[in-house]
Amino acid sequence: MKSKLVAALLATVVAGSAFAQAKPEDAIKFRQAGYTFMAWNMGKLKGMLVDNPASFNKEQAIAAANLIAATANSGMGALYVPGSDKGVGFKETRVKHELFTDKEGVGKVAVAFNKEANELAKVAATGDAAALKAQFGKVGETCKGCHDKFRKDEH
Amino acid sequence: MNSKRIRLWDLPTRLFHWLLVLSVAAAIVSGQVGGNFIDWHARIGLFIVGLVVFRLVWGVAGSTYARFSQFFPTPAKVKAYLGGDWKGVGHNPLGAFSVIGLLALLALQVGSGLFANDDIAFVGPLADLVGKELSNRLTGLHHKAANLLFLLIALHVAAIVFYVRVKKENLVKPMLTGWKEVEAGESAKGGGLLALLLALALASGAVYGASGAWLPAPPPAPPAAEAPPSW
Repeated sequence: MKSKLVAALLATVVAGSAFAQAKPEDAIKFRQAGYTFMAWNMGKLKGMLVDNPASFNKEQAIAAANLIAATANSGMGALYVPGSDKGVGFKETRVKHELFTDKEGVGKVAVAFNKEANELAKVAATGDAAALKAQFGKVGETCKGCHDKFRKDEH
Repeated sequence: MNSKRIRLWDLPTRLFHWLLVLSVAAAIVSGQVGGNFIDWHARIGLFIVGLVVFRLVWGVAGSTYARFSQFFPTPAKVKAYLGGDWKGVGHNPLGAFSVIGLLALLALQVGSGLFANDDIAFVGPLADLVGKELSNRLTGLHHKAANLLFLLIALHVAAIVFYVRVKKENLVKPMLTGWKEVEAGESAKGGGLLALLLALALASGAVYGASGAWLPAPPPAPPAAEAPPSW
């Protein structure tokens, strides 16, 4: 019992140091990489679900959906470190300052996205293209939920 | 009072107006929801391209009161209207600003939308022509212009309510039936079948151009034998 507790404490300390906060410009890069990579996979899903349903491929749909779910579950919230509200990753960040202050609002859109992304992976596993198309749309709505609220327009 | 009934709004003008009401409402809803509705948003946008171009042509080739030259708000007309001396028929000078403003803003809105993207899984039909950077900027413009559009629509509706409540004049009925009771004025003339066909042809051409259907097709998908690498 005691040794288990010590092990758990140790694990926490090690994990804590391993997850040292990313530097702002790195954090912005990781964010942009994550969203861009998800966009590649959303694009693949759209291609086989909407644009050209004849090209539907269950294995590739699962791969794309799993990537999106895994990215959603990766804890990207940790990348919004203090000081990363402005700065350049691969390009200038478009995050709104509100993302750092409106904790409740961010929580809502983030939880909504995670929920739909996980559901996407579940539905993809069934191989039901029609259901996956509907779920793909729901994921898109939750992406937009955050874009509309916490992302600046370019001008 | 000698009032008489005249033919004010021709059928194409009325059809245009109510189809525009429906499509703009549908565009607003689909644009707000996003998700799978974004593809409908794009289709509706293309339809509005057709409607706006139709109205621009009809504003030259249509019947009397549909013509821009008939209702163009010159300073003299605006001054007369504000002084209560305007006795015309059709779009009043302030209403004319609303017509021109709404058409211009809608043109900007559908124009920018054609090149927009949502960074999710949607790109406008002509976005490939301008590259990602400009597409992003036009997307920003599309979002901002939408707010301006809401404002103009609210103003347009408020003016109609003002006319009914305060000036005791129903503007909606003539837009539905085409007929209006006036003290002086003539029924609309012109805008025959040939003009209608011309407007429809130009509108269809504009929709085709905006749809990007003429763009070179993307490279064909690799044959099935060349499946993507397993890694």
